[in-house]
Amino acid sequence: MARTKTKKEESVEPGSDVVMDEVPTSHQPESRDDMSVDEDENDEVEVEDNDAEVEDDVQRVRLLPGSTPTAASFEFLNEGHTLGNALRYIIMKNPDVEFCAYAIPHPSEPKMNVRIQTFDSTTAVEALEKGLRDLQELCDVVTDQFVVAREKFMAK
Amino acid sequence: MDYDPMVMDDAEALGPVVKISQADSVRVKFELSNADIAFANSLRRVMLGEIPTIAIDLVEIEDNSSVLADEFIAHRLGLIPLNADGVEALLYARDCDCDGCCEHCSVRLTLHAKCTGDENMHVFARDLVPTGDRVNQVLGTPVVSDSEGLGPLILKLRPGQEVKLQCIAKKGIAKEHAKWAPSAAIGFEYDPHNKLRHTDFWYETDAKTEWPPSEYASWEEPPQEGEPFDYDAVPNRFYYNVESAGNLPPDTIVSEGIKVIQQKLAGLIHELADEGGDGMNGDYNGPRSPEYGTGADGFGGGYTTPFGNGGNQSSWGGAGGAGGTTPYGATPYGAGQSSWS
Repeated sequence: MARTKTKKEESVEPGSDVVMDEVPTSHQPESRDDMSVDEDENDEVEVEDNDAEVEDDVQRVRLLPGSTPTAASFEFLNEGHTLGNALRYIIMKNPDVEFCAYAIPHPSEPKMNVRIQTFDSTTAVEALEKGLRDLQELCDVVTDQFVVAREKFMAK
Repeated sequence: MDYDPMVMDDAEALGPVVKISQADSVRVKFELSNADIAFANSLRRVMLGEIPTIAIDLVEIEDNSSVLADEFIAHRLGLIPLNADGVEALLYARDCDCDGCCEHCSVRLTLHAKCTGDENMHVFARDLVPTGDRVNQVLGTPVVSDSEGLGPLILKLRPGQEVKLQCIAKKGIAKEHAKWAPSAAIGFEYDPHNKLRHTDFWYETDAKTEWPPSEYASWEEPPQEGEPFDYDAVPNRFYYNVESAGNLPPDTIVSEGIKVIQQKLAGLIHELADEGGDGMNGDYNGPRSPEYGTGADGFGGGYTTPFGNGGNQSSWGGAGGAGGTTPYGATPYGAGQSSWS
Protein backbone atom coordinates (compact mmCIF):
# COMPACT_ATOMS: atom_id res chain seq x y z
CA MET A 1 0.00 0.00 0.00
CA ALA A 2 2.75 2.33 0.98
CA ARG A 3 4.45 1.65 -2.36
CA THR A 4 1.36 2.40 -4.36
CA LYS A 5 1.06 5.60 -2.46
CA THR A 6 4.56 6.66 -3.35
CA LYS A 7 3.89 5.69 -6.96
CA LYS A 8 0.88 7.89 -6.96
CA GLU A 9 2.89 10.74 -5.58
CA GLU A 10 5.45 10.13 -8.32
CA SER A 11 2.73 10.15 -10.91
CA VAL A 12 1.52 13.44 -9.59
CA GLU A 13 4.87 15.07 -10.19
CA PRO A 14 5.02 14.36 -13.90
CA GLY A 15 1.36 15.37 -14.00
CA SER A 16 2.18 18.77 -12.65
CA ASP A 17 4.96 18.98 -15.19
CA VAL A 18 2.43 18.40 -17.89
CA VAL A 19 0.40 21.23 -16.55
CA MET A 20 3.46 23.41 -16.75
CA ASP A 21 3.91 22.38 -20.39
CA GLU A 22 0.34 23.20 -21.13
CA VAL A 23 0.69 26.71 -19.92
CA PRO A 24 2.40 28.07 -23.03
CA THR A 25 0.00 26.30 -25.39
CA SER A 26 -3.07 27.60 -23.62
CA HIS A 27 -1.48 30.99 -23.35
CA GLN A 28 -2.22 32.11 -26.89
CA PRO A 29 -5.88 32.84 -26.54
CA GLU A 30 -5.18 34.29 -23.13
CA SER A 31 -2.66 36.70 -24.59
CA ARG A 32 -5.38 37.86 -26.95
CA ASP A 33 -7.54 38.27 -23.95
CA ASP A 34 -4.88 40.43 -22.41
CA MET A 35 -4.97 42.71 -25.40
CA SER A 36 -8.68 43.04 -25.22
CA VAL A 37 -8.37 43.70 -21.52
CA ASP A 38 -6.09 46.60 -22.40
CA GLU A 39 -8.82 47.93 -24.61
CA ASP A 40 -11.26 47.56 -21.80
CA GLU A 41 -9.09 49.65 -19.57
CA ASN A 42 -9.11 52.43 -22.12
CA ASP A 43 -12.83 52.14 -22.40
CA GLU A 44 -13.17 52.28 -18.71
CA VAL A 45 -11.35 55.57 -18.62
CA GLU A 46 -13.84 56.90 -21.15
CA VAL A 47 -16.67 55.60 -19.07
CA GLU A 48 -15.38 57.50 -16.08
CA ASP A 49 -15.19 60.67 -18.15
CA ASN A 50 -18.77 60.28 -19.22
CA ASP A 51 -19.72 59.67 -15.65
CA ALA A 52 -18.12 62.94 -14.64
CA GLU A 53 -20.06 64.71 -17.36
CA VAL A 54 -23.26 63.23 -16.07
CA GLU A 55 -22.29 64.35 -12.59
CA ASP A 56 -22.15 67.95 -13.75
CA ASP A 57 -25.80 68.14 -14.64
CA VAL A 58 -27.35 65.65 -12.29
CA GLN A 59 -30.94 66.47 -11.69
CA ARG A 60 -31.11 67.19 -7.98
CA VAL A 61 -34.86 67.33 -7.59
CA ARG A 62 -37.29 64.82 -8.91
CA LEU A 63 -40.93 64.08 -8.51
CA LEU A 64 -41.57 60.74 -6.89
CA PRO A 65 -44.00 58.36 -8.59
CA GLY A 66 -47.64 58.56 -7.62
CA SER A 67 -47.78 62.32 -7.56
CA THR A 68 -50.72 64.38 -8.73
CA PRO A 69 -50.61 68.12 -9.48
CA THR A 70 -51.86 69.10 -6.05
CA ALA A 71 -50.25 66.35 -4.01
CA ALA A 72 -46.66 65.54 -4.75
CA SER A 73 -43.54 64.15 -3.17
CA PHE A 74 -40.19 65.52 -4.19
CA GLU A 75 -36.86 63.90 -3.69
CA PHE A 76 -33.84 66.15 -3.23
CA LEU A 77 -30.32 64.85 -3.66
CA ASN A 78 -27.53 66.01 -1.37
CA GLU A 79 -29.81 67.98 0.87
CA GLY A 80 -30.63 67.38 4.51
CA HIS A 81 -32.20 68.92 7.58
CA THR A 82 -30.52 72.24 6.81
CA LEU A 83 -32.77 72.87 3.85
CA GLY A 84 -35.53 70.41 4.63
CA ASN A 85 -36.84 71.84 7.86
CA ALA A 86 -36.60 75.48 6.78
CA LEU A 87 -38.30 74.69 3.48
CA ARG A 88 -41.02 72.72 5.21
CA TYR A 89 -41.67 75.65 7.52
CA ILE A 90 -41.83 78.24 4.77
CA ILE A 91 -44.04 76.11 2.53
CA MET A 92 -46.44 75.55 5.41
CA LYS A 93 -46.65 79.34 5.76
CA ASN A 94 -48.22 79.47 2.29
CA PRO A 95 -52.01 79.65 2.82
CA ASP A 96 -52.61 77.65 -0.37
CA VAL A 97 -50.76 74.67 1.06
CA GLU A 98 -52.74 72.09 2.93
CA PHE A 99 -49.86 69.95 4.11
CA CYS A 100 -46.10 69.92 3.92
CA ALA A 101 -43.58 67.64 5.58
CA TYR A 102 -40.07 66.46 4.99
CA ALA A 103 -38.21 63.29 5.76
CA ILE A 104 -34.77 61.82 5.39
CA PRO A 105 -35.68 58.23 4.57
CA HIS A 106 -32.32 56.78 5.47
CA PRO A 107 -29.44 58.53 7.24
CA SER A 108 -26.75 57.04 5.03
CA GLU A 109 -28.40 58.07 1.77
CA PRO A 110 -27.95 61.73 0.79
CA LYS A 111 -31.61 62.13 0.01
CA MET A 112 -34.36 64.29 1.43
CA ASN A 113 -38.04 63.93 0.61
CA VAL A 114 -40.59 66.70 0.76
CA ARG A 115 -44.31 66.02 0.57
CA ILE A 116 -46.53 68.90 -0.49
CA GLN A 117 -50.31 68.82 -0.69
CA THR A 118 -52.05 71.97 -1.82
CA PHE A 119 -55.58 73.23 -2.20
CA ASP A 120 -56.90 73.55 -5.74
CA SER A 121 -55.73 77.15 -6.01
CA THR A 122 -52.14 76.12 -6.75
CA THR A 123 -50.00 73.11 -7.58
CA ALA A 124 -47.39 71.35 -5.54
CA VAL A 125 -44.59 72.35 -7.91
CA GLU A 126 -45.63 75.98 -7.71
CA ALA A 127 -45.81 75.77 -3.94
CA LEU A 128 -42.30 74.35 -3.84
CA GLU A 129 -40.99 77.09 -6.07
CA LYS A 130 -42.74 79.74 -4.03
CA GLY A 131 -41.30 78.21 -0.88
CA LEU A 132 -37.78 78.40 -2.25
CA ARG A 133 -38.27 82.03 -3.25
CA ASP A 134 -39.84 82.94 0.08
CA LEU A 135 -36.94 81.37 1.91
CA GLN A 136 -34.56 83.38 -0.26
CA GLU A 137 -36.43 86.53 0.67
CA LEU A 138 -36.24 85.59 4.34
CA CYS A 139 -32.49 85.18 3.94
CA ASP A 140 -32.30 88.61 2.32
CA VAL A 141 -34.14 90.17 5.22
CA VAL A 142 -31.93 88.49 7.80
CA THR A 143 -28.81 89.58 5.91
CA ASP A 144 -30.05 93.17 5.84
CA GLN A 145 -30.95 93.00 9.49
CA PHE A 146 -27.56 91.62 10.36
CA VAL A 147 -25.71 94.26 8.36
CA VAL A 148 -27.75 97.02 9.98
CA ALA A 149 -27.25 95.57 13.45
CA ARG A 150 -23.52 95.27 12.88
CA GLU A 151 -23.23 98.86 11.71
CA LYS A 152 -25.26 99.98 14.66
CA PHE A 153 -23.04 98.02 17.02
CA MET A 154 -19.83 99.29 15.43
CA ALA A 155 -21.09 102.87 15.69
CA LYS A 156 -21.50 102.50 19.42
CA MET B 1 -34.08 99.89 9.85
CA ASP B 2 -37.53 100.56 11.18
CA TYR B 3 -37.38 97.95 13.85
CA ASP B 4 -37.46 98.12 17.56
CA PRO B 5 -36.21 95.08 19.44
CA MET B 6 -38.54 95.92 22.31
CA VAL B 7 -41.73 95.34 20.34
CA MET B 8 -41.95 91.60 20.63
CA ASP B 9 -45.64 90.87 20.83
CA ASP B 10 -46.53 91.60 17.22
CA ALA B 11 -44.59 88.46 16.49
CA GLU B 12 -43.77 87.45 12.98
CA ALA B 13 -45.65 90.21 11.20
CA LEU B 14 -42.59 92.35 11.78
CA GLY B 15 -40.22 89.94 10.15
CA PRO B 16 -36.97 88.75 11.65
CA VAL B 17 -34.88 91.10 13.76
CA VAL B 18 -31.19 90.85 14.56
CA LYS B 19 -29.59 92.44 17.57
CA ILE B 20 -25.89 92.18 18.26
CA SER B 21 -24.82 92.12 21.89
CA GLN B 22 -21.10 91.56 21.48
CA ALA B 23 -18.74 91.65 18.54
CA ASP B 24 -14.98 91.57 18.33
CA SER B 25 -12.33 89.90 16.21
CA VAL B 26 -13.01 86.40 17.53
CA ARG B 27 -16.71 86.23 18.28
CA VAL B 28 -20.06 87.76 17.57
CA LYS B 29 -23.02 87.27 19.85
CA PHE B 30 -26.40 88.12 18.46
CA GLU B 31 -30.07 87.52 18.91
CA LEU B 32 -32.33 86.55 16.06
CA SER B 33 -35.95 87.15 16.93
CA ASN B 34 -39.27 86.76 15.15
CA ALA B 35 -37.85 83.82 13.27
CA ASP B 36 -38.80 80.19 13.26
CA ILE B 37 -36.65 77.55 14.87
CA ALA B 38 -36.42 75.76 11.53
CA PHE B 39 -34.74 78.73 9.89
CA ALA B 40 -32.62 79.51 12.94
CA ASN B 41 -31.34 75.96 12.96
CA SER B 42 -30.62 76.06 9.22
CA LEU B 43 -28.45 79.09 9.80
CA ARG B 44 -26.64 77.35 12.64
CA ARG B 45 -26.08 74.18 10.62
CA VAL B 46 -24.86 76.03 7.58
CA MET B 47 -22.39 78.10 9.62
CA LEU B 48 -21.06 74.93 11.20
CA GLY B 49 -20.64 72.79 8.17
CA GLU B 50 -21.05 74.41 4.80
CA ILE B 51 -19.02 77.59 4.57
CA PRO B 52 -16.07 77.13 2.23
CA THR B 53 -12.65 77.82 3.70
CA ILE B 54 -9.13 76.68 2.91
CA ALA B 55 -7.06 74.05 4.70
CA ILE B 56 -4.01 71.93 3.98
CA ASP B 57 -5.16 68.82 2.17
CA LEU B 58 -2.00 67.30 0.73
CA VAL B 59 1.46 67.11 2.27
CA GLU B 60 4.56 66.08 0.37
CA ILE B 61 7.22 65.17 2.88
CA GLU B 62 10.75 65.45 1.60
CA ASP B 63 12.54 64.91 4.84
CA ASN B 64 11.35 64.11 8.32
CA SER B 65 13.78 63.08 11.00
CA SER B 66 11.60 64.36 13.83
CA VAL B 67 10.09 61.96 16.36
CA LEU B 68 6.62 62.34 14.84
CA ALA B 69 5.43 60.11 12.03
CA ASP B 70 4.80 61.66 8.61
CA GLU B 71 1.04 61.10 8.71
CA PHE B 72 0.85 62.48 12.22
CA ILE B 73 2.48 65.73 11.06
CA ALA B 74 0.28 65.80 7.98
CA HIS B 75 -2.80 65.56 10.16
CA ARG B 76 -1.59 68.35 12.41
CA LEU B 77 -0.88 70.53 9.40
CA GLY B 78 -4.37 69.95 8.09
CA LEU B 79 -5.88 71.31 11.28
CA ILE B 80 -3.97 74.60 11.18
CA PRO B 81 -6.36 77.45 10.40
CA LEU B 82 -5.41 79.32 7.24
CA ASN B 83 -6.66 82.75 6.30
CA ALA B 84 -9.68 82.20 4.05
CA ASP B 85 -10.08 85.81 2.97
CA GLY B 86 -10.92 85.72 -0.72
CA VAL B 87 -11.53 81.99 -0.83
CA GLU B 88 -14.55 82.56 -3.09
CA ALA B 89 -12.10 83.38 -5.89
CA LEU B 90 -10.52 79.97 -5.44
CA LEU B 91 -11.92 76.98 -7.33
CA TYR B 92 -12.65 73.63 -5.80
CA ALA B 93 -9.84 71.33 -6.95
CA ARG B 94 -12.44 68.96 -8.40
CA ASP B 95 -13.86 71.75 -10.59
CA CYS B 96 -10.48 72.98 -11.81
CA ASP B 97 -9.24 72.14 -15.29
CA CYS B 98 -5.73 71.56 -14.03
CA ASP B 99 -4.10 68.21 -13.46
CA GLY B 100 -3.96 67.85 -9.68
CA CYS B 101 -3.56 71.38 -8.39
CA CYS B 102 -2.65 74.83 -9.63
CA GLU B 103 -2.75 78.43 -8.39
CA HIS B 104 -6.44 78.67 -9.29
CA CYS B 105 -7.48 75.87 -6.95
CA SER B 106 -4.75 75.63 -4.32
CA VAL B 107 -2.16 77.42 -2.26
CA ARG B 108 1.26 75.94 -1.74
CA LEU B 109 3.03 76.26 1.58
CA THR B 110 6.48 75.08 2.48
CA LEU B 111 7.97 74.20 5.81
CA HIS B 112 11.67 73.71 6.24
CA ALA B 113 13.10 73.63 9.72
CA LYS B 114 16.30 72.18 11.11
CA CYS B 115 17.43 72.29 14.68
CA THR B 116 21.01 73.48 14.54
CA GLY B 117 21.38 74.68 18.13
CA ASP B 118 21.78 72.72 21.35
CA GLU B 119 18.26 73.37 22.56
CA ASN B 120 15.11 71.71 21.35
CA MET B 121 13.48 73.74 18.63
CA HIS B 122 9.79 74.55 18.34
CA VAL B 123 8.24 74.74 14.89
CA PHE B 124 5.19 77.00 14.71
CA ALA B 125 2.57 77.73 12.11
CA ARG B 126 4.32 81.00 11.27
CA ASP B 127 7.15 78.89 9.83
CA LEU B 128 4.79 77.69 7.11
CA VAL B 129 5.57 79.93 4.16
CA PRO B 130 3.12 80.34 1.29
CA THR B 131 4.93 80.07 -2.04
CA GLY B 132 4.00 80.66 -5.63
CA ASP B 133 1.12 82.58 -7.09
CA ARG B 134 -1.99 83.13 -5.05
CA VAL B 135 -5.43 84.52 -5.69
CA ASN B 136 -4.59 87.31 -3.26
CA GLN B 137 -1.79 88.03 -0.85
CA VAL B 138 -3.45 86.79 2.33
CA LEU B 139 -5.31 83.67 1.22
CA GLY B 140 -3.74 80.58 2.73
CA THR B 141 -1.48 82.38 5.20
CA PRO B 142 -1.49 80.60 8.56
CA VAL B 143 -3.60 82.38 11.17
CA VAL B 144 -1.43 83.82 13.91
CA SER B 145 -3.40 85.44 16.70
CA ASP B 146 -1.18 85.04 19.77
CA SER B 147 0.73 87.98 21.16
CA GLU B 148 4.16 86.53 20.27
CA GLY B 149 3.11 86.05 16.66
CA LEU B 150 3.96 82.35 16.59
CA GLY B 151 0.75 80.58 15.74
CA PRO B 152 -0.03 76.99 16.74
CA LEU B 153 2.87 74.69 17.60
CA ILE B 154 3.30 72.05 14.92
CA LEU B 155 6.18 69.97 16.30
CA LYS B 156 9.42 70.08 18.27
CA LEU B 157 12.86 69.13 16.97
CA ARG B 158 15.84 67.75 18.86
CA PRO B 159 19.30 69.04 17.85
CA GLY B 160 20.10 67.74 14.38
CA GLN B 161 16.56 66.81 13.44
CA GLU B 162 14.99 68.30 10.35
CA VAL B 163 11.64 68.53 8.60
CA LYS B 164 11.22 69.61 5.01
CA LEU B 165 7.83 69.46 3.42
CA GLN B 166 5.45 71.00 0.93
CA CYS B 167 1.77 71.47 1.68
CA ILE B 168 -1.05 71.98 -0.75
CA ALA B 169 -4.01 73.79 0.75
CA LYS B 170 -7.36 73.39 -0.97
CA LYS B 171 -10.83 74.80 -0.67
CA GLY B 172 -13.42 72.71 1.09
CA ILE B 173 -16.30 72.62 3.55
CA ALA B 174 -16.54 71.23 7.07
CA LYS B 175 -19.15 68.70 6.02
CA GLU B 176 -16.30 66.88 4.31
CA HIS B 177 -13.71 67.37 7.04
CA ALA B 178 -13.84 69.47 10.20
CA LYS B 179 -10.53 71.14 9.33
CA TRP B 180 -12.51 73.35 6.93
CA ALA B 181 -14.78 74.61 9.71
CA PRO B 182 -14.71 78.42 9.90
CA SER B 183 -16.06 78.46 13.45
CA ALA B 184 -14.42 77.10 16.54
CA ALA B 185 -17.85 76.83 18.16
CA ILE B 186 -21.35 78.09 17.63
CA GLY B 187 -23.48 78.68 20.67
CA PHE B 188 -27.16 78.34 20.00
CA GLU B 189 -29.77 78.85 22.67
CA TYR B 190 -33.41 79.73 23.06
CA ASP B 191 -35.98 79.91 25.82
CA PRO B 192 -33.57 80.59 28.73
CA HIS B 193 -36.28 80.02 31.34
CA ASN B 194 -37.30 76.70 29.81
CA LYS B 195 -40.88 77.87 29.56
CA LEU B 196 -41.40 75.58 26.58
CA ARG B 197 -40.06 72.64 28.57
CA HIS B 198 -37.82 71.49 25.73
CA THR B 199 -35.20 70.67 28.34
CA ASP B 200 -35.57 68.52 31.38
CA PHE B 201 -33.19 69.63 34.11
CA TRP B 202 -31.69 67.01 36.33
CA TYR B 203 -31.74 68.02 39.99
CA GLU B 204 -31.20 66.67 43.49
CA THR B 205 -33.77 68.72 45.35
CA ASP B 206 -34.62 71.79 43.30
CA ALA B 207 -33.65 72.53 39.69
CA LYS B 208 -34.07 76.30 40.14
CA THR B 209 -31.39 76.62 42.81
CA GLU B 210 -29.01 74.01 41.41
CA TRP B 211 -28.82 75.24 37.83
CA PRO B 212 -27.20 78.60 37.16
CA PRO B 213 -29.41 80.96 35.17
CA SER B 214 -28.61 81.31 31.49
CA GLU B 215 -26.61 84.26 30.25
CA TYR B 216 -29.75 85.37 28.44
CA ALA B 217 -32.15 84.82 31.33
CA SER B 218 -32.38 88.55 31.97
CA TRP B 219 -33.33 89.14 28.33
CA GLU B 220 -36.67 87.42 28.67
CA GLU B 221 -39.54 87.59 31.14
CA PRO B 222 -39.19 84.96 33.85
CA PRO B 223 -42.23 82.73 34.22
CA GLN B 224 -44.86 83.94 36.69
CA GLU B 225 -45.47 81.91 39.78
CA GLY B 226 -48.14 79.35 39.03
CA GLU B 227 -48.30 80.31 35.35
CA PRO B 228 -50.04 77.56 33.36
CA PHE B 229 -47.99 75.77 30.71
CA ASP B 230 -48.62 77.28 27.29
CA TYR B 231 -48.56 74.25 25.03
CA ASP B 232 -49.06 76.40 21.90
CA ALA B 233 -45.95 78.48 22.50
CA VAL B 234 -43.11 78.19 20.02
CA PRO B 235 -39.58 79.52 20.41
CA ASN B 236 -38.95 82.74 18.53
CA ARG B 237 -35.85 84.33 20.04
CA PHE B 238 -32.56 82.64 19.32
CA TYR B 239 -29.21 83.51 20.82
CA TYR B 240 -26.13 82.76 18.75
CA ASN B 241 -22.53 82.90 19.81
CA VAL B 242 -20.34 82.50 16.75
CA GLU B 243 -16.71 82.02 17.59
CA SER B 244 -14.26 82.19 14.72
CA ALA B 245 -11.27 79.89 14.36
CA GLY B 246 -9.41 82.83 12.83
CA ASN B 247 -9.73 81.94 9.17
CA LEU B 248 -12.80 84.14 8.63
CA PRO B 249 -13.94 87.06 10.78
CA PRO B 250 -17.00 86.15 12.87
CA ASP B 251 -19.42 88.52 11.14
CA THR B 252 -18.28 87.16 7.78
CA ILE B 253 -19.15 83.67 9.00
CA VAL B 254 -22.73 84.80 9.61
CA SER B 255 -23.12 86.57 6.29
CA GLU B 256 -21.38 83.76 4.42
CA GLY B 257 -23.70 81.29 6.13
CA ILE B 258 -26.75 83.09 4.82
CA LYS B 259 -25.09 83.30 1.43
CA VAL B 260 -24.62 79.53 1.37
CA ILE B 261 -28.33 79.02 2.08
CA GLN B 262 -29.13 81.50 -0.69
CA GLN B 263 -26.89 79.64 -3.10
CA LYS B 264 -28.55 76.33 -2.25
CA LEU B 265 -31.97 77.86 -2.91
CA ALA B 266 -30.85 79.62 -6.08
CA GLY B 267 -29.49 76.36 -7.43
CA LEU B 268 -32.77 74.58 -6.80
CA ILE B 269 -34.88 77.40 -8.23
CA HIS B 270 -32.69 77.42 -11.31
CA GLU B 271 -33.13 73.70 -11.68
CA LEU B 272 -36.88 73.85 -11.27
CA ALA B 273 -37.05 76.63 -13.85
CA ASP B 274 -34.93 74.59 -16.24
CA GLU B 275 -37.01 71.50 -15.88
CA GLY B 276 -40.34 73.18 -16.43
CA GLY B 277 -43.49 71.28 -15.63
CA ASP B 278 -43.21 68.01 -17.51
CA GLY B 279 -39.50 67.55 -17.06
CA MET B 280 -40.24 66.78 -13.44
CA ASN B 281 -41.89 63.52 -14.30
CA GLY B 282 -38.80 61.54 -15.13
CA ASP B 283 -36.09 59.96 -13.13
CA TYR B 284 -33.04 61.93 -12.42
CA ASN B 285 -29.80 60.31 -13.10
CA GLY B 286 -31.66 57.49 -14.74
CA PRO B 287 -31.67 56.66 -18.40
CA ARG B 288 -30.21 59.92 -19.52
CA SER B 289 -27.74 60.49 -22.25
CA PRO B 290 -24.61 62.23 -21.10
CA GLU B 291 -24.61 64.80 -23.90
CA TYR B 292 -25.70 68.04 -22.45
CA GLY B 293 -29.16 69.02 -23.52
CA THR B 294 -30.00 66.25 -25.94
CA GLY B 295 -33.68 66.12 -26.63
CA ALA B 296 -36.16 68.54 -25.25
CA ASP B 297 -37.01 66.43 -22.28
CA GLY B 298 -33.43 65.50 -21.61
CA PHE B 299 -34.07 61.81 -21.73
CA GLY B 300 -33.01 59.49 -24.51
CA GLY B 301 -35.64 56.97 -25.45
CA GLY B 302 -34.94 55.07 -22.30
CA TYR B 303 -32.44 52.72 -23.85
CA THR B 304 -29.42 54.89 -23.49
CA THR B 305 -27.12 54.09 -20.68
CA PRO B 306 -25.52 56.93 -18.84
CA PHE B 307 -22.24 55.70 -20.26
CA GLY B 308 -22.81 57.13 -23.67
CA ASN B 309 -22.91 53.99 -25.75
CA GLY B 310 -25.82 53.35 -27.99
CA GLY B 311 -28.55 51.19 -26.64
CA ASN B 312 -28.06 47.49 -26.56
CA GLN B 313 -24.36 47.83 -26.08
CA SER B 314 -22.32 47.01 -23.09
CA SER B 315 -20.63 49.78 -21.28
CA TRP B 316 -17.33 48.13 -21.99
CA GLY B 317 -17.46 49.37 -25.50
CA GLY B 318 -17.46 46.05 -27.31
CA ALA B 319 -17.17 46.27 -31.05
CA GLY B 320 -20.34 46.53 -33.06
CA GLY B 321 -23.81 46.53 -31.71
CA ALA B 322 -24.51 42.91 -32.53
CA GLY B 323 -25.87 40.92 -29.67
CA GLY B 324 -23.63 38.32 -28.19
CA THR B 325 -20.70 40.60 -27.69
CA THR B 326 -18.99 39.72 -24.47
CA PRO B 327 -18.06 42.37 -22.00
CA TYR B 328 -14.49 41.87 -23.12
CA GLY B 329 -15.03 43.02 -26.66
CA ALA B 330 -14.36 40.23 -29.11
CA THR B 331 -14.24 36.70 -27.84
CA PRO B 332 -10.75 35.32 -27.58
CA TYR B 333 -11.53 32.81 -30.32
CA GLY B 334 -11.68 35.44 -32.99
CA ALA B 335 -15.03 34.44 -34.44
CA GLY B 336 -16.83 37.23 -36.18
CA GLN B 337 -15.72 40.73 -35.39
CA SER B 338 -12.23 40.90 -34.06
CA SER B 339 -11.37 44.07 -32.35
CA TRP B 340 -8.17 44.58 -34.36
CA SER B 341 -9.60 44.44 -37.81
